[in-house]
Formats: sequence, structure tokens, C-alpha cells
Amino acid sequence: MRFKHFFSAFGLGLLLAVPATTLGQGRVSITAPPDGATLDALDENRLVYEVDPGPRGDHVHVYIDNREVGILRKLKGSYLLETPSTGKHTLCVRVVNKAHVPVGIEQCVQVTVK
Amino acid sequence: MSPENLVYALTQVVHNLGAVAVAGGAAFALWPLQRPEYARTFAWLLLGAWAAQIVSGGVFGLTSLYYYGELPDLSGIAMAALALKVLAALFGLLLAAVYLLRGRAWPLPHVKYTFQGLTALGAVALTAAAFLRWFS
Repeated sequence: MRFKHFFSAFGLGLLLAVPATTLGQGRVSITAPPDGATLDALDENRLVYEVDPGPRGDHVHVYIDNREVGILRKLKGSYLLETPSTGKHTLCVRVVNKAHVPVGIEQCVQVTVK
Repeated sequence: MSPENLVYALTQVVHNLGAVAVAGGAAFALWPLQRPEYARTFAWLLLGAWAAQIVSGGVFGLTSLYYYGELPDLSGIAMAALALKVLAALFGLLLAAVYLLRGRAWPLPHVKYTFQGLTALGAVALTAAAFLRWFS
């Protein structure tokens, strides 16, 4: 009976521990604009990305200055940045799971809009 | 098998069955025949179903917090849909509870209005759920 308890606890522990080993897998790559780029506010500015969501990710969210502005279900493509105000901005692409929770895979770039 | 997906899936089972019960249970109490003799039974079903919706909705959030340390990232539309869904669930729970506490002496038309209200709340919650799902 004690063995049963031990194996139940061990199995549960193993089950809960598994996701920690998969954390960090996956990748986001923002190919444009490059980090530190200066964008012209009058241009059509596109964020070009490529994502490997890893085992825990599903799709990606786009953020400007930490505010969610888009949901991207394609893992490779581009997103039209709606005329950002002038000044410095942080653009981020984050992988989220089916429940829309960020799984810890992201890339951010800083841009200056003039 | 990823354990958080298992937890999400089991929670979704409760949430889906609750959704069927809140919308279908209330509608079935009215149509195709009104069943006043079973009104309290349906009201108990709806009370339990709305409670299941609220609890399972909370468990979704807790699961995300437990596994990722974060709540879901919701857009403005999704946040509005979530607020509407939560309000519908609270009003549904309240309406079913008020009927069970005070409804024994209510005239038949009032009982009918109650179940019509519960049906409408179920429809609102399901509609909001669709926007929450696809605008997040």
C-alpha cells in the first residue's frame, strides 16, 4: 500500500516536473525592423517575424510598448504596424499557448519613429 | 503528454458541459413544452451549471498562473467579452438562486420570465465565449 502511495506521488511529481524541462524550447526571430532601427512614420512599416512555437506554444501575440496590438496565427509572416507615434518604441512578439498565456518565448526590438 | 494541457482539457470538459447545461437546460425548461412541475429541478441544474462555469473559468486562470506564472494576455475585445461572460454567469447564478429561494409562490408567468432570462444569459455567455476565444 505504501508503495502505491510512493509511486502515485512519484508519478504526479514527474508529471508536474516535465514542463520545466521543455521550458525555453522554441524561438522567435524578428527579421525586420532590426533592433535600433529608425522608422519613418509616413512609411508602411511591417514587422517581419518567424516563429518556432516549441512544444508549449500555439500562436503569437504582437506588442507595442507592452500593449497587445495583434494576434498572429501564422508562424512566419509580417504584421503591418499601424502608424506608431513618434519617439522610441519597443516591439515584441511573444509565443502564447492555446489559453493565450505567454510561454516565455519572445523577441523584442527597439525602434525610433520619426 | 503535457500536464498543463491535461489540466486545461479537463477544465474545458467541465466548462463545456456547464455551457451546454446553462443554455440548453434553460431553453429545454421552456420549449417545446413548458414544464412547470420540473422548474425547480431545472433551476438546481442551472445553479450547478453556472457555478461550474464560474469555478472552471477560475481554474483556467489558476492553471495558467501555476504553470506559467501569468494570466492570459487578452486584447481589448477579448477583455470586454470576458467581463460580459463573468457578468452573465453571476447574474445566472443569482437568478437561479433567487428562484430557488423565493420562487415557490411565484405565478407561472414569473417563472417563465425567470427561465427566459436564464436562457438569454446562457446565450450571452456562449456568444461572449466565442469572441473571447478568437479575439485573444
